[in-house]
Amino acid sequence: MERLSVSLVFVLLVAMLFGCAGGTKDAADEGPKPVKIGAVLSLTGTYAGLGEAEKRALELEVDRINASGGIAGAPIELIIEDDGTDEAKAVAAAAKLIEQDGVVALIGASGTGQTMAMRGDVKRAGVPQISLAGGTVVTGEFDPLVFQTPWSNRIVVPFVLEAINRAGHTKVALLSDSGGYGKDGRAVIMENVASAGIELVADETFNPGDTDLTAQLTRIKASGAQAVLLWTAGKEAAVAVKSARELGLDQPFFGGSGQARVEFIEGAGEAAEGFIFGTGKSLVPANWGEGSVQFETVSDFATRFETAYGEQPDIFAGHAFDALTILADALDRVGPDASPQELRDAIEATNGVVGFGGTFTFSKTDHNGLTTDDLALYTVESGKWVPVK
Amino acid sequence: MQCGTMVAELLQFIIAGLKSGAVYALVALGFTIVFGATGAINFAQGEFYMLGGMTGVLLTTWGVPLPLAVVGAVMLTAVIGAAFELVAVRPIASGDPLRIIMVTIGGSVVLRQAALHLFGPDERALRPFTAGPSLRLLGAAVERQTLWVWAITAMAVVVLAVVYRQTMFGKAMRATSIRRDAARLVGIDASAMVTASFGLAAALGALGGLVVAPLTQTAFYVGSGMGVKGFAAAILGGLGNPVAAVGGGLILGLLESLTAGYLDPLYKDAVALVVLLGVLFLRPQGLLGGRGTEKV
Repeated sequence: MERLSVSLVFVLLVAMLFGCAGGTKDAADEGPKPVKIGAVLSLTGTYAGLGEAEKRALELEVDRINASGGIAGAPIELIIEDDGTDEAKAVAAAAKLIEQDGVVALIGASGTGQTMAMRGDVKRAGVPQISLAGGTVVTGEFDPLVFQTPWSNRIVVPFVLEAINRAGHTKVALLSDSGGYGKDGRAVIMENVASAGIELVADETFNPGDTDLTAQLTRIKASGAQAVLLWTAGKEAAVAVKSARELGLDQPFFGGSGQARVEFIEGAGEAAEGFIFGTGKSLVPANWGEGSVQFETVSDFATRFETAYGEQPDIFAGHAFDALTILADALDRVGPDASPQELRDAIEATNGVVGFGGTFTFSKTDHNGLTTDDLALYTVESGKWVPVK
Repeated sequence: MQCGTMVAELLQFIIAGLKSGAVYALVALGFTIVFGATGAINFAQGEFYMLGGMTGVLLTTWGVPLPLAVVGAVMLTAVIGAAFELVAVRPIASGDPLRIIMVTIGGSVVLRQAALHLFGPDERALRPFTAGPSLRLLGAAVERQTLWVWAITAMAVVVLAVVYRQTMFGKAMRATSIRRDAARLVGIDASAMVTASFGLAAALGALGGLVVAPLTQTAFYVGSGMGVKGFAAAILGGLGNPVAAVGGGLILGLLESLTAGYLDPLYKDAVALVVLLGVLFLRPQGLLGGRGTEKV
């Protein structure tokens, strides 16, 4: 027995020795050390639709960058972790990426709640984070390490309110969900209605997952509103516009980026006709004008995405594309061996980087970097969204 | 406000409540049937609701006409329900109610993730069973699909009642739920009855998911929320009693709708749960349950 354990220890030692030797040899062969980037995405759970699109965009871009020489010769190694649309899992994923994998930057999470949950680990490790979530809090509760790529409610809300006012509606009913996106939007809407010259005559909310909005819509109908502002990203939006028409609430509906989804138009059918929403110009790349840098960037990405996956990228894929574009741009400036701190400074110095969402220019106080110039107004016509002229 | 509009509003809330309630009733019936056969709660019941809607949508995208797609989706889900009992519940739980509960919790996660990979992460729409504008009833609107919800729920209840009362199969099911050992002694294959109960429960859940999909769309994640509602409805009425399950569903739907209408929509889920707790304290057998001796 004793002899067995002695020989076992010997075998282990030899194995370790060879293992180590093998390791160093591999590293010498590989050339430059890869730049490790971690991504926390919702590949399962409620936000799986977002996470899957984001994963595809990230993998597509990493392959493209690596094929064309990487960052000054060093390839990017992308490590993706699934958070299951769960905040606790997002924290665990961030900790794993930072501590075990030693990433220099984090992309994600897909959702606002998960993004905020990761903040503790991000701060402790001092690693920059580029979030793909649209919540205002992500950069509103400012942290030097945290950036975000989607059009935040902070710019979309005033843009849509102005459009409502321009259409001649001053008495408006608000219908928002009590989940992340709706609650976030509602707070920004409350701040901005007065300055947009709009009076909120009804303020109705519903829970994500609600299958019936009769009560809310009945009250809106009685409120004498001239228009309804719907702020939600969930499938309840389709229920809202359909029931509104059924109940004889014929006032025009307005919304934000939450309605820039084919599923909304499919689900609402004819009731979606005439719905007006504000979101990024890139939803219809021609908005930028053919031949412009923005147009070229967006259509090039769309073409490559379609070639690889056989379908058009949605806005979530676009936001992920932007996160990687910004990161690669910063890495190009500081080099593949930059520390997380140097990388953060370089990201903050991002100036005029053209992506899907628009033209990103970060500053010491603005980590979203987009403006209302990057937005456009759309309406639904014969089952498709078209820019409002 | 004028009296007329107030009546119309109340009527509108009642219609909305009975619409949601009818769907809860279908899901609750599934809970009741499995409980009757096994003495356990099937926590995968909500996933059958989801599977019904999703397979229905899938069949229509393959070009199957809507009525056939509905029937096909109900049958497919019933087969999945029975298969779930055969391959997971029976071998692992071997009739122990506590173990059955655990297997169905695990099974619900598996079914949900399988649906995510099979059908994709996005919500899907099913077209209304009959197109056209809503009907008017004393100033309140009734969507055509709502009439379908009621009609299909009523039909399911009647068919179920006839099967349970008149057929040999139904009598065997009832005998098993009243006393499993005695049923076995008179030659009833009790484990086949358990498999059948899962299939039947899955079919009822699927029916609920299908009939509501044109109104709300459906997605891989809708099952767990509906499972909670259906479970609450079954408890509210009294577990193990099909008539009570239907009553519980309708009462729950009405309570939610009236809370949303006259209190605050955000409290409607909470109010339903508070009432549920109250019922459990005062009448543990459920609002409509008997003394607890006869289960069906």
